[in-house]
Amino acid sequence: MVKIVLKGLEETEEFGKKLGSLLQAGDLISLTGDLGAGKTTLTKSIGLGLGVADYITSPTFTLINEYRGRVMLYHFDVYRLEGADDLLDLGYEDYFYSNGVTIVEWGDKIENILPEERININIEKGKELDERIVTLSGKGERFEKIVRELNLN
Amino acid sequence: MKVLAIDTSTMMATCAVLDEERLLGEFSLNQDMSHSENLIPMVKEIMDNLKLEISDIDLFAASIGPGSFTGLRIGIATVKSLAHVLDKPVVGISTLEGLAFNIVRSGIIVPMIDARRNRVYTAIYKKDGQRLKSLLDPTTMDIDELLELLDKEHTNIVVNGNGASLYRDKIKDKLKDRVEFAPISLNSPRAASIAELALIKKDEIEHNYYNLVPIYLKESQAQQDIRKREG
Repeated sequence: MVKIVLKGLEETEEFGKKLGSLLQAGDLISLTGDLGAGKTTLTKSIGLGLGVADYITSPTFTLINEYRGRVMLYHFDVYRLEGADDLLDLGYEDYFYSNGVTIVEWGDKIENILPEERININIEKGKELDERIVTLSGKGERFEKIVRELNLN
Repeated sequence: MKVLAIDTSTMMATCAVLDEERLLGEFSLNQDMSHSENLIPMVKEIMDNLKLEISDIDLFAASIGPGSFTGLRIGIATVKSLAHVLDKPVVGISTLEGLAFNIVRSGIIVPMIDARRNRVYTAIYKKDGQRLKSLLDPTTMDIDELLELLDKEHTNIVVNGNGASLYRDKIKDKLKDRVEFAPISLNSPRAASIAELALIKKDEIEHNYYNLVPIYLKESQAQQDIRKREG
């Protein structure tokens, strides 16, 4: 588990872009944090790092948004879903195990069907205005490699 | 009687035209999940090359699962709409039975399709003349549980499907020289097998373009919770 304090919007964007630049086809991020913590904002920065030119918007109502970048980006928001069963109907496996990068907002709601090898990111507000505390945890080679490459010290 | 068969239940999109005597054409692409873009052009390519019209087809067949939810829907919706428009009969064939039908040899045939998180869609068949006898009907199973079962009850086993490739080492470790892996050419779904099974089974399967639906074999959330509690 790695904890990072990001002081201000700029640092948060830098972090997202860097993370986005490190992601590869097949990676999955489960993104958690309270309403307004900045999950979609962080996803936008990750998208920039992945070379997505489109404007990334919240998938709260659409459930899944797809973007073309260096690799495909699939952006899920499962907040409104009742649980894993709803995702079955969406054909989630073709996204989670695809040749793209998947980001699942509120991933903890469907934890039992997320791939075991994944990157969990929790984002919360810090003490200062616009300060964010990001916690990374996960399992698998990809997670460990990404944490190494992020070079957080 | 000409059969057009489609299988899009895995990464492999495959379609074939076959009659009682010959395979007329087969087109398979193992690329990505863009079946919705590829499938109809693939069918057209086969038909054009064979100088056939779609109305020359007498029977439509689809692989009905288990497999990718989206893939199954694409294949089945395509077959249903073609059959509906032309008012022709339609038959659905299990993806697992189709895979097992690829293998021509005596003994036990165990097709496996990756169901994620250490599970496979699987069934156990035994060749019985031209037909396959089911010893275990299509189900979802933990790979270790399946290997335990095979280890206890069977010898002379052939496995195929993407699940068999994924768990190759594990299968080999457990079953040793009692298991054989299918050659690459017989490891993936083949529409020709679906087409031939459709010809064999057409009179006993009561499908039509209204009642044909996918068999997902996915455990519901509640079933998974029970399994977790009991496991």
